[in-house]
Order: sequence, then structure tokens, then C-alpha cells
Amino acid sequence: MIPNLEYTKPETIDELLELLKGNDGNSKLLAGGTDIIPGFQQDANRFRNIQKLIDINDIQVLQEIKQNENHLEIGAATTFTDIIESDLVKKHFPLLRKAVSTIGSRQIRNRATLGGNFINNAPCADSVPPMLVYDALVEVRSSSTVHEYLLKDFLLKPYSTRLKNDEIVTKVRLPIQPSKLRGDFVKLGRRRGVSISRITLAVLLSVENTTISDIKIASGAVTPIGKRFYELEEFAKNTKIDNEKLKVIAKKLGEVILDTTGLRWSSDYKVPVVQQMCYNLLERLVHNED
Amino acid sequence: MKNNIHNMKNYNTAGKKVIRQDGYSKVKGDALFADDYKFVNMLYGVMVRIPTAHAEIKSVDYSNIRKNENLIDIIDAGDIPGEKNVGPIRKDQPVFCSNKVVTPGDVICMLVGESERELRNLRNNVIVDYEEFPVLTNPSKSMGKNAPLIHPEYDDNLIIHYPLRKGNIEEGFNESENIYEDEYQTQLVEHAYLETETVTALPLPTGRGVKIIGSIQNPHSARNVVASVTGLPLVQVIIEQAELGGSFGGKDDTMNILSARAAVASLKVKRPVKLRYDREESILESYKRHPYKMKYKVGYNNDGKIKAMEIDILADGGAYSSMSPFVTWRTVVQATGPYEIENVQTDVKAVYTNNPYTGAMRGFGSPQPIFAQESIMDEIAYRLEISPAEIRRINGYKQNSITASGQKLVEHQVNLIPVLEKAVEQSNYESKFNSYLGSNKSAIRLFQSENLILKDNDFTNAKDIYRQGVGLALSFRGCSLGAEGIDAAAAYLSLQKDGSAYLISGLAENGQGMKTTFSIIAAEIFGIDASDIYYLDQNTSVVPDSGPTVASRSTIMGGGAVKIAAETIRERLIGVLQEEWNEKDSNLEFRNSQVYVEEEPSKNISFKELCELAYSKGVCLAAIGWNPGPKVDWDEEVGQGAAYFTYVYGCQVAEVTVNTATGEVFVDKVTAVHDPGKVINLLGAQGQVFGGVTQGAGYGLWEEVSSSEGFPKELNYDQYLIPTSKDIGDIEPIFIEGEDPHGAWGAKSLGEPTLELTSAAISNAIRNATGRRYKNLPVNIEEVLLNRKLRPGSNKRGSSL
Repeated sequence: MIPNLEYTKPETIDELLELLKGNDGNSKLLAGGTDIIPGFQQDANRFRNIQKLIDINDIQVLQEIKQNENHLEIGAATTFTDIIESDLVKKHFPLLRKAVSTIGSRQIRNRATLGGNFINNAPCADSVPPMLVYDALVEVRSSSTVHEYLLKDFLLKPYSTRLKNDEIVTKVRLPIQPSKLRGDFVKLGRRRGVSISRITLAVLLSVENTTISDIKIASGAVTPIGKRFYELEEFAKNTKIDNEKLKVIAKKLGEVILDTTGLRWSSDYKVPVVQQMCYNLLERLVHNED
Repeated sequence: MKNNIHNMKNYNTAGKKVIRQDGYSKVKGDALFADDYKFVNMLYGVMVRIPTAHAEIKSVDYSNIRKNENLIDIIDAGDIPGEKNVGPIRKDQPVFCSNKVVTPGDVICMLVGESERELRNLRNNVIVDYEEFPVLTNPSKSMGKNAPLIHPEYDDNLIIHYPLRKGNIEEGFNESENIYEDEYQTQLVEHAYLETETVTALPLPTGRGVKIIGSIQNPHSARNVVASVTGLPLVQVIIEQAELGGSFGGKDDTMNILSARAAVASLKVKRPVKLRYDREESILESYKRHPYKMKYKVGYNNDGKIKAMEIDILADGGAYSSMSPFVTWRTVVQATGPYEIENVQTDVKAVYTNNPYTGAMRGFGSPQPIFAQESIMDEIAYRLEISPAEIRRINGYKQNSITASGQKLVEHQVNLIPVLEKAVEQSNYESKFNSYLGSNKSAIRLFQSENLILKDNDFTNAKDIYRQGVGLALSFRGCSLGAEGIDAAAAYLSLQKDGSAYLISGLAENGQGMKTTFSIIAAEIFGIDASDIYYLDQNTSVVPDSGPTVASRSTIMGGGAVKIAAETIRERLIGVLQEEWNEKDSNLEFRNSQVYVEEEPSKNISFKELCELAYSKGVCLAAIGWNPGPKVDWDEEVGQGAAYFTYVYGCQVAEVTVNTATGEVFVDKVTAVHDPGKVINLLGAQGQVFGGVTQGAGYGLWEEVSSSEGFPKELNYDQYLIPTSKDIGDIEPIFIEGEDPHGAWGAKSLGEPTLELTSAAISNAIRNATGRRYKNLPVNIEEVLLNRKLRPGSNKRGSSL
């Protein structure tokens, strides 16, 4: 049940940051509300002590997508629908576009926002693996400070980030990628629509002279939080694009995941399947098959 | 009766596509569902439960809340003036628990007040002292010597045992050239109606009883329960049905009990009391579909003829008997499938456990054995290296076949083989089956749990990942209640002098489209438009009790009653015209809102004018049609008899693509060929197929309530997965209209037949695609790859069922 709450709707970032001054955690931001409203209904721990909701839907700058020199900037309160419909995102960041287009249903995508997706740091947040391989930067502001983190540093542990109670994420900055990189995002859910991820993978790579010259790999829902695999990437660089060699990379991913998570109830399924999915993804990408 | 013979090819509206009467109001959002009703001085009731599946209640202490300003009253078993226990067959379910709790959905008491929110907060302050008992969750252990007794008033945990004996099973096996034995299991599933349970009870003036408005599937059943619990005579319990947001068999017992709780409370506090559940509470308390454990042993010859079938089925009835005795009775009648077998021995048992209780759900004891028996038919075909269609042709019912219960299939057209042939032809089954079969060897590499890191040859290349398969399933289904009980239905039709008409039957519109179907039947008789009929909302005080709206019986039973009522009035109208036109023998046509004598232009009157004429002559334009079902019989000792007075037949062919790397199954297409008898509303019939197939696919591939220590885990749709529109490909409904003397022009049943086959057809398609037989529903991603279920909550590696 939705509790009795104080509710305000600031119109500028300054006004918003002023409201957050001295916030002890009892004030929460409301953007799409697709997490918080069901959270209230379920009486979820994370939302139990909220006394004040600050609706940020009137703050236009938080919903802008624009190119700024070598980066694309996406406001934290940009909806998935707006991201999907952006030509800039389509051109430069197709993995992100694909990932957010798999989230929830159209009704949810019309409301849910990019910031809302990763700010919880749920393991299954679908925007995270693509943003990790794109080396996304996260801008964080309070009334007196501005920080910028790499997304991988911003995300700490499940349901925990570097964001402080008096701060907001204003935008994500994605470095425009070298054109030689190609990649894909794949998602496995229990069904095709309105599905929470069981396994996601995002891979960007380039091939030169039958060798993988550069590669970035991230996963979601198979580790406690979305994870970029830097060591594995180093291992995979300079691999010949030979299927047997790709299997070695995929197996290595399985080992890393198993090392990270230990055995879980789902390991019997997820660990073999993530290797298989990784292998097929690499297989398609190196041979440039769509 | 004269003038009631329709040329089969010459219907006015029956069989055409008619948009349902309640469609526009639902699309526009102004239809009134149970929670849309609000009343002055209305209070809410909130349930108090304790977090245990099995315990004796020692004491309940309300002292902490008695004086709370938000509490108007507390209702518990002590407030019940009449029967404290209810149940459709065995009265084993308390309206409020006072001695024992036997499953986590059980309710101790209900807090009544103005604010639901405050009442919910108060719940934790009711202090219940209870002693926990061992929890029984495995039905196989419920008859063991040390099993805890769920209901100590009975000798054991057995709810019912139905034996069926035909021929001589031992001889049958001895004469068989081959024996096939296997075990299959199905899971607990939730109806997943969109609208959760809601009911409001309004106390009427002294001596007038109580009125109830709610999301009630069977208003007359609810009336029986409320009357027994309140001690009121039936006439003082008036139940109105709100528009129902889905039921699928699920708004029966639960809603009857909620109606009784609301009635007791409203009569005590003398104010309207509304109860409404959120999704979690709905899934926690409401009954579900029975999980079955099924052992089959089949003797068959090399020519494909099945000689003997031995079936042993155990159903988990959960904490209360509810409809278990009827659900499992349908199972015992239909467990062999539609195959003529000389020697049959079937035993079906239902037992108590502390799991959520199980009762009626669309299909009602048929989807489970169909999954087993249709899997087995395919396995026998594989072993004999003949087509799965051929094994069914050899053994399937034909005209005058004898069923397992010894019933000879006569009077109606036995269209089993025609639906099979149509489905096989339409889907190009044979050639697809054979082409997929060749490429499916070892498509799934079952991952071994000791070997989570793959070996090089465990990997599948992208081009080999997707495998296609095709599978078919066949069923027969007894129409209506059969020997379950009294089977009759009423319809009241009241023609107005302007040619419009009120219509209502004793059955209920639960979303199946009945109002429109019945309106079409009446309109057909009068030669008017279905939109001229105003179908009244269900109210138990205006029409005779016609039994429950279950068993796909509304069209055959209620539709028959509507036809009788309309024909009664039409006879009177004919009488008026015969006198008016001095016509004795000519055949009057009722068509296009005109009544006329063919080839005689002077003898023509509009239907409206005819009604006015009849009215002016003092002719009664209202009638009740009463349609009693034909006699059926059943010998409980040996399970023999004419179980149902008629049957319907169906065949579905599922085409799937299996991702052999992830275990995902996509349903590309389902060809659904059904003989429902005469189709009344083509649009409604197609809708039944689309919905039933989708629901059946959900049962086959995704849906499961996994309970732990009796607690259902999936309490909302984030966990409990029903198919979305993205998960199912094309569904092609095809109807073969078999002739039958029953119902309106032979219109029989369709609602349940559409669902019961689908999971079996899909599983057979997966077998064709992968070479693997899956024996436990749902065939979800883990089941496909590992051949077992994985469940959260257990850290033990590879822990399965």
C-alpha cells in the first residue's frame, strides 16, 4: 500500500539539490515510479522509511539527450522510450538501445528512466552491461559538489552505489566509440515480453587480420552486480577468430563467474548457459554474422 | 414442437461473428466491476492470518486492539450464526479458523473498520497463541502411517478414491506384445484472473436479509453458502454479480467464503462491508489447480492396438477437499484418453496436505492426464516407428466405440478422427514431423552438475542451436456435469411490446461471452438481431438456480434453456398470427425482424408490430425455459456407467522452436481443431480458442506456484509468469460442427477443451524437436536443459524437487 507521504515537485536542479540538503535517506526521488510504486505495494525494505517523494519529472535538463564533442549525454531521467527513439543513440550506442528496448513492456518503457534502472544497482538492470562496455561516465551532483565516476566505479555492490543521500545522478556520458568496434547485447529471460533477465551479455570487439584486436565484455544477472570482465578481455585480445579459441574465452568467462558467485541454486543452469551464449555471441561477431 | 426446425445452412445470426454485448463498456472502462461499487457508510474487512501451515490455535487475544479508534468490530468464528464450516462436497473448510490452521491462507478473524490501511497495520497486534504441527507437503506421504492428520475428524488424509475396472487387466497385459510404463507429474498453478477477489455485503431492512455484490463466479452457489453460514433462508440472501474480471473456475469456493464473511460482518455491524484482496493475498488464499502424479502402464501390440492400460493417479488436494471429488471424477472417466481399450484399470486418489488447497480450474482434472496419456501415445508411436497420428487413428474413438467406463458413444457424431485428420492436414503435420525427426538427435546436451565448465564438444554452434518440432494431442471431453450431480438450467425471457427483450439465465457471465451467445440463440428463434436482446445482470432473486457456471456447460445447458423459452413465446406469437391471418398450416418465417408467409406478400408483419399485437390481445410474452439434462449414471464400485450424456472432441497441433543452448521454447503456431457442436458466436468461439491455447501454453512452459512448507512462493506476476503476446505465435482455430440432439441446434462445449490439450501438444513438439521426453510440467528453461527443476531458496547445488 502506498504510505502517506509528503510530495514535492521542483522545477530546476538547483531547487532539487536544495531540497536534498541534509537528506537522511527519508527523501527519495520519483522519476518513472516503476520501481518505487510496486516497492510500496510489496512493502519492500528499500522503500519502507520514505517520508518524502521528490518528483523530478518537471526538470527538463534531466531528460535531454545531446552530443557534446566526443560524448553522448543522456539525462538521468530520460525514459527508455526516448532512448529507443533517439537517432544519436541508435547510431552510436546500439547495444544500449537494444538493451533498454527489452525492458518491461511499452507502458513501463514509457515511464521508466535510465537513471532509475542502474541507480538501484540490481543485478538484472539491463542498461548496465552495455553502458559498462561503452565505458559510461556518471555525473553526480549535490548542492555543493560535482563528481564524475566511471559507471563500474559508481556501482558498489547489490543495491548500493556511491550516490549519497544529498546527491543526484544528473546524466550519463557515453564516449563515442571508434567505428571499428562492433558488438551485440543478448538477453535471456524466462519469457519474451515483460521479462526479468536471467542472463545478459554485452560484447564489443574489433577484428584485424583474423585476430581479435580489441574486446570488451560485460554481463548482467549472472554476478551479484553487472560486471565488466577486464582480465578476461586482456586474455581474449589477440585471439585468432577460430571457433575453438572462442570456446576458450567462453569457458574462461564461466570460470570467472563461478569464482565471483560461488555455487548458487541457479549455477547448474546459468554457468553452462552463459558460456554457450558467450560462445555464440563471439562466433556471430567475429564472423560478422547478424 | 412445430416450427422449430431450422435448416442447418439457413441461420439468421447463429454461427456468425457477433461482437459481445459487454465489449464496448469494458473497452471504454465504464463497466462496473466489484470494486467499482461504493456505498454510504461502507466499511472494509481485513483478514488476520498466522504464518504457519499447520498448527493448533490455543488462544486469540484481541485486547491490544479492542479499544483502537480505527476498529469498528472483529469478526471471527464466534460471530457465525449458522454453519461454521463450508465446502461443496465435504464441509471441511472453516469460514474462520478457531481450532486449527491447515494452510497459510487460512483466516483467523477479520478486522472491520473504515480504513483498510489502518486495519492492516492493526493486524499484527492480534496475538494468536498456537502450537505448530508437522507440515505435510508431499501427497505421496499423506497416506503413510506417520503422516499428520490434516483434518482429525476424518480417519485419514484420503479425500476420495475412484476405482475403474473394465475387462481383465492381467489378461490384457498377458496378451500384449509390448509393455510401456512411465510416470508423469504436473504442477500447482494459479488461475491468474486479472481482477482479484472483491465482494460487498449490504444489510437489508429487518426481515429482508442481506444483499451481496461481488466478483462471484457462481452466484447461486454463493447464496447457498451465505445462507448456511448466516442461517438465513435462501430468499433472504440476494446475490448480484458484478462484471467479472476473469475467473477460469477460480471464483467459486473462495468467493463463496468471502461472501459469507462479508455477510456475517455486515449483519453484525449493520453497515455495508467490502472485502477486497490484493494480488499477494489472492494468490495466498485462493485455491489452485491440482498437481498430479501419474503412473501409466500400457500393453500394446506390434500393430499399434492398445490392449490394456493401468493408471494410478494421485492428486494433491491441499488443505481442503473443495472440488477434489468432482475434479478427480472427471479424471477417472477420461484418464485413458479417447482410445478404445478392452482392459482398463484406473485408480484416482485425492489426498489432503498442508499445501494451498486445490479445486476447480478450467480443464478440471483433464489437462493433467492428457499430458501423460498423449505423451505416452507418442512414445508408443516412436517405439513402433509409426506416425503419432497413426497410433491415434488405430485406437481413437469412432462412432459406437465403448469408453473406459463402458459407455457406448451413440446419438452424437463422434468426430474424434475427423478433428485429427483436419488438424494433421491443415498443419502439414506428417511431413514436418518426419523432417524435424531426422535432425533432432542429441540436440540437447544435458549439462552434468559436476561439470559446470563446458568441454569443447559441449558447445553448440550458432547455426545448430534452433531446432523445430511439431506435436499433436487429442482429447475427448464429457459435456457439463455428468454424474457429478443435478444438471438443469433455466432461462427467463421477457419480450417487450416494441420487439426488444430481456433475457437472463441462471448461469453467469464470467467473461466467456455467455450473454452474447444466449442473446444470439433467442434472436435466432425470433429472427431478430442479437442486439435487440438486453441481457440482464445476474441476480439470484430473479431466476431459478441453474447450478454452477462450470464444466463448459453454459452453452449446452443454458443455451438449451434459452431456446426453449424463446420457442415457447414464439409458439404464442404464431398462435396470434394464425388467428389474425386465419392461417392454420402455413409455415411462418421469422427473419430479418419480419414474420411472414413465404410467397404471400400480404401476410407479412414486422416483429415489433407482432409483439404489439400480441400484447394488445393479452398474450403473455414472458416465459421460463427449463432444460433438464438427460440421465447419466455411474457405479462407484467399478467406475462403470454412462458418465456424461454427450462429448466433444479436439485435436491441437503445436509447432515449436527450441533454443537448445538456453532451453527456451517458442510456440510458433498452434492449429486447434475442435468439435464444439454447433458454433453460436464464431467470434466468441475463436476467442475461446485463443485464450485457452495461450493458457494451456502457460501451463506447459512457464506457470508454477512452487510452495515451500505449504507457503506459495510466487505471490505476484513478477514471479508467477503467464505468457505474454510475444510468447505465442499464430493460433488457428478450426471448427467441425458435429451433430447432437442436445443443446441449441447441437451447440455443446468449448471453453475447457481449448486449454486441456495444449501443454501435451507442445511437449510432444519439443520431443520431436529435441529427441527428449519431458515428464514434469512446466517444461521451463531449466527443465529443458537439465531435465529437472531448479528452485531459489536452496543453496544446495543441483537440489531438485
